[in-house]
Amino acid sequence: MKEVEKKVLKGPSDQATWWRTLIKSRETTLFLLIIVVSIVLSILKSNAFLDQKNFEAIATGMIYDLLMASGMTLVLILGGIDLSVGSVLALTGVVTTMLIQQGVNVPLAISLGLLLSMVIGAINGLFVARFKIAPFIVTLGMMSVARGAALVLTSGYMISGLPDVYLEISSGELLGIPYAIYTVVIVLAIFDYLLRNWKPLNQSFYVGNNPEAAAMSGIQVVVVTFAGYTICSFFAGLSAIFMTSRLAIGFAGFGLMAELRAIAAAVIGGASFAGGTGSVLGACLGVLLLAVINNGFVLLGGGPNWQQVVSGGILVVAVGVDAYRRRRERKE
Amino acid sequence: MANNVLRVEGISKSFASNKVLDQVSFEVEAGQVHALVGENGAGKTTLMNIIGGIHQPDEGSIFLEGYQTHFEDPLQAIKSGISIVHQELSLALNLTVAQNIFANREETNRIGLINWKALFDKTRALFERIGVDIEPTMLAGDMSVGLQQIVEIAKALSFNAKIIIMDEPTSALSDTEVERLYNIIDDLKSRGVAVVFISHKLNEVLKISDKISVLRDGKMIGTVATSEASRGEIIKTMVGHHIKDFFPPKSSGIEEEFFSVEGLTSKGRFQDINFSLRKGEILGFAGLIGSGRTEVARAIFGADRLDSGKILLDDKEIRISSPREAIDQGICYLTEDRKALGLFLTMSVRKNIISAALKSFISRLFFYKHREIKNKSKEYVDYMQIQPFNDEIPLISLSGGNKQKVLFAKWLCANPKVLIVDEPTRGVDVGAKTRIHSDLRKLAEDGVGIIAICSELPEVLGLSDRIAVFHEGRITAILEGEVTQEEVMKYAVTKEVDDGK
Amino acid sequence: MMANNQKIGWVQKIIKTFGMYNIGLIISIIVLMLGMSIKYEYFLTWENMKVMAMGFVLEAIMSIGMTIAIISGGIDLSVSAVLPLTAILAGFLLNGGFPILLAIIIPLVVACIIGFMNGTMTNLLRVHPFIVTLATMLTLRGINLVITKGATISGFPKTFCFIGQGELIGIPFPLILFAILAIVIGYSLANHRFFQQVYFIGGNPRAARMSGLKVNRFLVFVYVLSSFLAGVAGIVAAAQYGSANNTFGQMAELKVIAAVFIGGASLYGGFGTMFGTFLGALFLAIIYNAFVMTGVSTYWQDVVVGSMLLIAVFLGAYLKKRGVRR
Repeated sequence: MKEVEKKVLKGPSDQATWWRTLIKSRETTLFLLIIVVSIVLSILKSNAFLDQKNFEAIATGMIYDLLMASGMTLVLILGGIDLSVGSVLALTGVVTTMLIQQGVNVPLAISLGLLLSMVIGAINGLFVARFKIAPFIVTLGMMSVARGAALVLTSGYMISGLPDVYLEISSGELLGIPYAIYTVVIVLAIFDYLLRNWKPLNQSFYVGNNPEAAAMSGIQVVVVTFAGYTICSFFAGLSAIFMTSRLAIGFAGFGLMAELRAIAAAVIGGASFAGGTGSVLGACLGVLLLAVINNGFVLLGGGPNWQQVVSGGILVVAVGVDAYRRRRERKE
Repeated sequence: MANNVLRVEGISKSFASNKVLDQVSFEVEAGQVHALVGENGAGKTTLMNIIGGIHQPDEGSIFLEGYQTHFEDPLQAIKSGISIVHQELSLALNLTVAQNIFANREETNRIGLINWKALFDKTRALFERIGVDIEPTMLAGDMSVGLQQIVEIAKALSFNAKIIIMDEPTSALSDTEVERLYNIIDDLKSRGVAVVFISHKLNEVLKISDKISVLRDGKMIGTVATSEASRGEIIKTMVGHHIKDFFPPKSSGIEEEFFSVEGLTSKGRFQDINFSLRKGEILGFAGLIGSGRTEVARAIFGADRLDSGKILLDDKEIRISSPREAIDQGICYLTEDRKALGLFLTMSVRKNIISAALKSFISRLFFYKHREIKNKSKEYVDYMQIQPFNDEIPLISLSGGNKQKVLFAKWLCANPKVLIVDEPTRGVDVGAKTRIHSDLRKLAEDGVGIIAICSELPEVLGLSDRIAVFHEGRITAILEGEVTQEEVMKYAVTKEVDDGK
Repeated sequence: MMANNQKIGWVQKIIKTFGMYNIGLIISIIVLMLGMSIKYEYFLTWENMKVMAMGFVLEAIMSIGMTIAIISGGIDLSVSAVLPLTAILAGFLLNGGFPILLAIIIPLVVACIIGFMNGTMTNLLRVHPFIVTLATMLTLRGINLVITKGATISGFPKTFCFIGQGELIGIPFPLILFAILAIVIGYSLANHRFFQQVYFIGGNPRAARMSGLKVNRFLVFVYVLSSFLAGVAGIVAAAQYGSANNTFGQMAELKVIAAVFIGGASLYGGFGTMFGTFLGALFLAIIYNAFVMTGVSTYWQDVVVGSMLLIAVFLGAYLKKRGVRR
């Protein structure tokens, strides 16, 4: 045993690879890309880009995408997908604000809203894990149900008249960046840490990589999958709280297309439709990259309409790269 | 000179560095049933796949009715008159029998519309030729496996097959269905169709074939006329290995029994399995592929359902309904298909090693204890001599043999009381094989009960203290002491042992 | 005695021709219609029937192609974005002075190209079609938004609008178009050797390849057809509204997929008929009409369609587990 310990300490590659993996890592590439794009934009549109207000706009827009891309990452790691997050966001926002409007105690309303989002996620998880129905169909159907429910409840109207207590959740800032961002960053940092170091969540990698082998290794595949979808919806619900608080209204039209941006960011960040891989940090960097690129388009006069094309194009590229990577792996 | 409808000469084939066929020559005559027998891994399936155009030979030639031919793909072979009825049937279960047989070859009018009446009539006529009564409009998925097989045979005939190769055709059939198959084969013979019958069931082979060829270790050992063959001789030819493996000495002190199963039954898979395991012993599961050993292992491990039976560990009856529960009880199962069921190819070696023992590397709050994981993992890498020493690289970059070592390490890491290993040295080179054998023996001496499922006779003989021989879902014998290969094979190939022929 | 035997044979024959599932669906439809007509006298009028059918005709046209895509074991999520694209392109061409014929043909060709890309990428990347068509949908939706800047294009010539608003022998043209497409393609699906391949490919793709079917080429065709029909729906939509807007066809893919699944197709491929899809579309058309008649807010639509999709898929998985034949 002593000999092994000696070998462990002297292990040739450990120290060196730490450096190498950092450089080669996807996160570093993304980080560099973001810097490059930012530099380009600073040169081209220095006044508009390097403006405090501009950064604020980028930052606040990112909050919701950060949360949902991270939740989506977990589901992708499990080898699935969740098309309903945008609709869950809308519904949770609507329900929470309606409750508050009716006079329900704010913390209670928030808890109920979050609980609702988790219930939806649990239903998704049930259909996928227990009844073994393809995730994209389940969440496609749920997307429609949730969005529809939000519309039914509000008849298209906005829910307003929310108390200051609620609005304060997302107001206030430090160094020009809203408190909400700090909160979200901390939450996601914790989530990222848990995903990598906490067994119950980390098992998801095993499940997504090879569900049969995971089952044969004693991992509770059904439970893990179920939990993954629940957490993903929870993050969508959390986004809803922030969004409705900041915009001071509940609206059934919130979160349109959000799921697709979340998927794009997660895949850019390293997740794959094949499952077994993904990173919260990567997804967040993906969100930042998309946000900066989008901002660039807007500043360069492309108009807000381009956001979707950009997301779509990037998703196509990300999917292509992902498929290429998997093809090389499969050649083994 | 008899008319050879098929002749292969000097066929060799290697997969990676593994030579599966070595200069095999083989002749099939029209209107005859030619049986191809051999142990697991002797090369029967590969030879069949080459003849059928699924693989390309590295060297050698194929002559069809005297003319040298070369098949680029299976379809070409089929069109030339060589059809294979595989073990996993290639039917679309959602379509009718007729559609399956004549897929993309249906009779159509000028604009391509199918003439259904003609299709069904044609199919009916085809079945009449074989003397079977199957309604052409039946869905393939609504039929028994026996009937599905007949549909495949009919499909081959519809291509005017000159040779039909059947791969273990009776493995999923009931007795009556087997009889029916024999009749059909007789019918095929009378039409001049040659049948190549791959099987390990010597009873059948002796009953139905005209000639028997024996493959061993990728070489064609010999061909005899069935009328002149005796079962004993065939068995001997099948098993005579000339490679001497060195095995670690058998157990010195075997202690008391601590694990046993009684009356394990799972409908359709195995029946009334009884055996016990003693501390410090290696119990070998011998038998041919499909004899039920893996199924029993999976059921004990909780991966498949048990219809009835008891499992006792340390004198207590235990109920196992999932792999999680089995592992918690100390029962571990090193799977046969390591890629699909045992390893996470794109994850690191380290993550693989701990994958079955995650529970033991976490703090009270379920966080990984990274230092412990690192140390343990390195320990196993060192112990199993896994190359390369870096355990953080993805598993996929390791060689096959090293992957097998990682799989082994994974289950060792789970601290088993009972370790079931299924084909533990498959795909591993000779040096590593010996290592794994001595590791298993060491493990046994440390008090772990080991069940070793091996299909290679010398291995199961050299490794085990006792051998349970399986045949078609039952244990036909539990052998101890001085056991010969012939003896094991005898119990592996027959239901009842009748001495003599 | 003889009469009894004959009667039983007649019932059994019907069950055999249509399949238990379809019969259940037909009964549900009849029950629905009866229920509606009892409550609302207006329901069973010719006028209302026209409205009901027209309310779902675009989705019905697209479901023709979607049926084949799903039988092949795949799916086409991009149809809801191809529809507005062709409508918009037609609009641009019409307003740009192009002859009507070109304004119809060019967008359809573009649709076919998109379908070609969908199919080819699925083959090349070896991913499930839903990923590829999802990416296509997102990109196209964005493109639609960009090229119209969110504005509506209008002012189409009357001759063009006939496609969407005109009637022949009292039946709206779009319905006639749908009928022709459904019958021709449906009949081909059931009887043409080329189309019949889809059942084999969906049922056992490995065996299909081994039998020599050109699977990759066929799959490309499947997606070209699906996009083409979405393009047809887009032209009809532009003609119907006399305008084109990027919000056309929103949520359409959901309704189309629901129609196909309610009609009995299986998520795993290999099962499904045009007749079944027709019933599924009819079923949904009635439901949507019911919304209008009962005055229930249209916002319930999405909830209902989504739930029906989930139920249909769940039932499919449940029945498959029990080994029940469709």
